[in-house]
Amino acid sequence: MTRGVFYDGRVAQAWPAEVRREGEAVAFDAAEGRFIWSFDQLGVATHAGETRLSHPSDRTARLLLTEADWRLLAGDRAEALRRRRTGSEIRLAAGLAVVGMGVLAGSIFGIPAASGPLARATPPAYEQGMGDNLNYQMSAIMPTCEGAEGQAVLAALGDRLTVDSDSPFEIQVRAVEAPFVNALALPGGWILITDDLIEEAESPDELAAVISHEIVHVQQRHVMQAVWRNLGIGLLLDAVVGGGSGAGQQAVILAGQMTELGYSREAEREADRLGQALLHRRGLTSQGMAPFFDRLAEAERGDRDETREDSPFAEFLATHPDTERRAREAREREQPGGTALTPQEWAAVRAACRVSDDPIGGVQRRIGIGNDAPRTGKPDQMGENR
Amino acid sequence: MGDPAVSLSTAVPEGGSEPPEPGESLRFTHTLRPSSYWLLSLKNGLLNVVTLTLWRFWGKTEVRSRVWRSIRLNGESFEYTGRGVELFVGFVLALVVLGIPFLLVVFGGQLMGPAFAAMILLPLYVFAFWLWGLGTFTAFRYMASRTTWRGVRFRLAGSAKAYGWKFLWVTILSALTANWYGPAGQRQLAQGLWDGMSFGDRRLRFSMTRSERIGLYGPFALGWFGTGLVAFVATILFGMMVNALGPEGANLSVPDWAMQSVFMYGFLVVFYPLFALVWAPYEAALLRSVAAGIVLDRAVFKLEVGAIPLWWLTVTNVLLALISFGFLLPLVQARTARFIVSRLVSAGTAEISEARQTSSGPRSGEGLADAFGFSAI
Repeated sequence: MTRGVFYDGRVAQAWPAEVRREGEAVAFDAAEGRFIWSFDQLGVATHAGETRLSHPSDRTARLLLTEADWRLLAGDRAEALRRRRTGSEIRLAAGLAVVGMGVLAGSIFGIPAASGPLARATPPAYEQGMGDNLNYQMSAIMPTCEGAEGQAVLAALGDRLTVDSDSPFEIQVRAVEAPFVNALALPGGWILITDDLIEEAESPDELAAVISHEIVHVQQRHVMQAVWRNLGIGLLLDAVVGGGSGAGQQAVILAGQMTELGYSREAEREADRLGQALLHRRGLTSQGMAPFFDRLAEAERGDRDETREDSPFAEFLATHPDTERRAREAREREQPGGTALTPQEWAAVRAACRVSDDPIGGVQRRIGIGNDAPRTGKPDQMGENR
Repeated sequence: MGDPAVSLSTAVPEGGSEPPEPGESLRFTHTLRPSSYWLLSLKNGLLNVVTLTLWRFWGKTEVRSRVWRSIRLNGESFEYTGRGVELFVGFVLALVVLGIPFLLVVFGGQLMGPAFAAMILLPLYVFAFWLWGLGTFTAFRYMASRTTWRGVRFRLAGSAKAYGWKFLWVTILSALTANWYGPAGQRQLAQGLWDGMSFGDRRLRFSMTRSERIGLYGPFALGWFGTGLVAFVATILFGMMVNALGPEGANLSVPDWAMQSVFMYGFLVVFYPLFALVWAPYEAALLRSVAAGIVLDRAVFKLEVGAIPLWWLTVTNVLLALISFGFLLPLVQARTARFIVSRLVSAGTAEISEARQTSSGPRSGEGLADAFGFSAI
């Protein structure tokens, strides 16, 4: 027999309890009642020398004992109950781990596999709407270059490369101001070429190779596939991770990013291969691709060996596959042909974004203020530029 | 262990000829030892990783359970009776009913062209703030219903939707006034929660008059203008460092990303404590003000929080969370609870022994709060 305190779960009043063990149960008299709580359903929580017992027969009632009294009363059952709780916890964790791994596998393999069919099934009008949206947003941070003649040449080159394409999208190429070397294909046929990329290109053939590469992204609907992958993986992982924070969430986010990077690199290889084929069909040389990659690779090596911070290629390298390999593969596939642009056209493209050497004016344009501010493009302005 | 005779004897006021007030005075103590949370932090962190964070519902429950049973009122500990599966079910419900439709509408809006997207998305973002308030209220309601003392539950009554509107209103006014409505708004939000709270059938009240005795606008002004000053100094120093690293910086013999990371983290380590410092007097005053507004029968509360101790707690907690990549959040929660409880005192009496049990509360818990990532501890 030992003494405890009983809370009946009806009123916040403490009742003295005379507690004893009766076979496989804890029995006590308290609050003008008699209670028998079986060990096999007993809830036990011990903290700071105090043990709190609960039982499903009365979910709000609690019996408090000192830890020493509880051990004396329960004997070997105290340890058995502790082991039972640990066992339940291990089973729960194992089950959750299996579910978690299943979700991860679905994110890595299932959703990417479905993204191709989903992209093809997406109505072109929807993709066009998304592209227009994105293009509008990008125009705010990457203003269209002012050189109307150069823009017209780029637009014409885009038209020429896709003249008999069965793609549902009209290719719309434009030069934009941005402080990095890159070209972007947006959903719906928008292709943006940065002024730094035009500056870095040493011949119109190199520029044509980049544009044909981006056209393939549009025609193969790579961007839409990436959108579906991101949405699917995002939804699935959000469903699991939710607002959880900490190491687990970081691991999940990292896994999602690695998956996306893998598929992104695969799409880049396909765009290289089909981009060169596109140039061949138009009778143009594809010999501009490999030299461009050679210089990218050189810059990449420079970044690696000398840790140079000022390489303009850094952005371009981030999501693409190994550049030396791309250069090698491009060289194996390349064929001679006509040049994409006449010297006059090439000069017009090179001049498209060179409007002023004034550094302050340049900064103002890039952040959309000052006298040149109206150049922060809207879709209709882009049309005029061509 | 609680002995009612001992507990009741402390309710007798000292001296004076007036008849003793009914009820008992309230004394908060704790047995919290944050060092005992290292192992739990490690366990929860590892299980979160291997279960793709699904463990977090059960991990969070265990932390709450341990924290509450370490806090004592008149010698008797609180108990947290929530279960991990309740949090999990709440999360799944919120995700299915709101989270996924919300994401799909956002995605769908992107397909519809700029004008239509703006027409759909702007009201949706405003709605999200209402939802945030609603989620906060329901999270508190769940936690109150799962917190007991002497076997009797707490309860939060009132309309979650109305609280959502109040939250939205405070957010809009704060945004329109460069946050100068914030202090008054925070009091209103505290009132919206504490005025509906009860221990069993003993209702707590929030006295705005008592709360307003603790001035907020002086410390707020210090934080507001101090932020401008710190931001100004930070910008100047940032510019000087960028200049110093300029072309010469490119020749440093460490990788770019490492340099940038060290630079950014170094900047954060230096300036975050300064921002926290200028806001610490306001945060401390807000805590004192909210605590001062809470009344139970004739018992009133006082939170003896100073700005510097609160600043130190905040900065060290952030540091612990950052350097451990979130692994040490349970330890952070234990430190915070100890900080609050050890500074919480009460005067007057309350008839807590007469509190009768109340309804069992919602069946699932704080799903919205978890889905949107603002779940309290």
